[in-house]
Amino acid sequence: MSANQTSPSKSSTQQFRLISIVVAGMLGFTSSQSVAFDFKGALKDAVEKEISQQSEGSTAPTNAVSTTESAKSNNSTASSEATFNWKNPSTAEEITLGREIAGNLLGAAPLVKDAALQKYVNSVGRWVASQSERPELPWRFGVIESEDLNAFAAPGGYIMLTKGLYRKLQNEAQLAGVLGHEIAHVVKKHQLKVLQKQQLLNIGAGLLSDKYAKDNAIISKAIGSGAEISARSLDKSAEYEADRLGLSYATRAGYEPYGLTDVLQTLGQSNTSDASVALLFKTHPHPDERLSALSESVGGQLDKMTNGKTLEKRFYLLK
Amino acid sequence: MKHYLKQVLIAGSLIPILYVGMSSAAEKASALKNDSLRTEPYADAKISGSFVRGESLEIIKKQGAWLQVKAKKGSGWVRLLSIKRGVTASSNQAAGVLAVASGRAGTGQVVSTTGVRGLSEQELKAAKFNEEEVKTLESYTLSAEKGRAFAKAGNLNSVAFKNLKEVKGGAQ
Repeated sequence: MSANQTSPSKSSTQQFRLISIVVAGMLGFTSSQSVAFDFKGALKDAVEKEISQQSEGSTAPTNAVSTTESAKSNNSTASSEATFNWKNPSTAEEITLGREIAGNLLGAAPLVKDAALQKYVNSVGRWVASQSERPELPWRFGVIESEDLNAFAAPGGYIMLTKGLYRKLQNEAQLAGVLGHEIAHVVKKHQLKVLQKQQLLNIGAGLLSDKYAKDNAIISKAIGSGAEISARSLDKSAEYEADRLGLSYATRAGYEPYGLTDVLQTLGQSNTSDASVALLFKTHPHPDERLSALSESVGGQLDKMTNGKTLEKRFYLLK
Repeated sequence: MKHYLKQVLIAGSLIPILYVGMSSAAEKASALKNDSLRTEPYADAKISGSFVRGESLEIIKKQGAWLQVKAKKGSGWVRLLSIKRGVTASSNQAAGVLAVASGRAGTGQVVSTTGVRGLSEQELKAAKFNEEEVKTLESYTLSAEKGRAFAKAGNLNSVAFKNLKEVKGGAQ
């Protein structure tokens, strides 16, 4: 079935590509649009290269000018409000951005008014985050008023999950697994990178000089209207990575490693036409695919991890 | 098309019989990948069979991180991550088609969606920044030490475990 499908679709893309080459060729010398198109492509490549270079560790020596520039912007707290170094945002800038996104999301769905619940989720989350590569962030966690099944992460350590999802959990290990997945998005700066890329493209010449990379446009302009950003999808590969790391963090925290996979099993059984999972299913690979990918990555590595705890007795039950 | 319709009708008439036959004995499951079945719940136990990705299985029992299952080619123990609980995606789709054909579509779904306040894209777009709520959220932030104390209270000890790596191609 799938073999039958691949060959015609392949040839049709080839055909399409051929047509577009011909069209581009015809327009090439007369239209400035095709030139602009090429430029945009080159720009995109360059932006991607820039961002990936920076995120692959601060050890990579960039040029001396950019280092002093970013150091300057890190120090001046007053100017960090007005300017934002999109090329190389500081942790403070990352948190400012995340705060904006989290505030917008909370505008759509406020926190559940249950301080004991919020405290409990912050305790579990903080402990799991301490097993990550960014333990020093001021991690904050919240359960929000929504019967949807979903969880969100915003740059700088803002993490929220819905009451609907919390209700599906049966023990602390499962909560740790879900929070671990979101923590991984923050650690790997998945959302931040998407915003950076988009913003640098908007700025256009952002990569030519740090001076231009520090755009004065306010953050809200970058993240779009309301909490729309929270409804956007990341790369599939980012979701799989967050699953692998989330499971790893929860395991290191001493939990039974199958918390996240338990939750994915539950999600996999929910009806795809159910409104409560519509956004989750739209923005993530299907739970079955995520389980398969995790299963392949794990192999036999969990065979000896038999002392993990589920702590269902301590699990905070919703009122 | 005609042939397909016939199949649906035949399958539809079989369903009640299947339901009776299954009763409540074993939990249905499907294989997430190709794997071997073993005589005991250990990686080095003797192989007693195998199954392929997507195959329907029956879970007999669970022990730690292992499940005893019944497959087409024998039964035995397998790591729980090789298995998805419930029916396969493909048979889910088939069930959907059958439900439509028999006019049973929609029952049971209505209940779960009524009264649900969704976080739709529309609602998210219309959201306004809520400073007070962010401040409340931030007020819950705990220090690393508080996290450690909480872990200790639950007898949680951090253990060595390397970050899982991506496995490409899916071969083991």
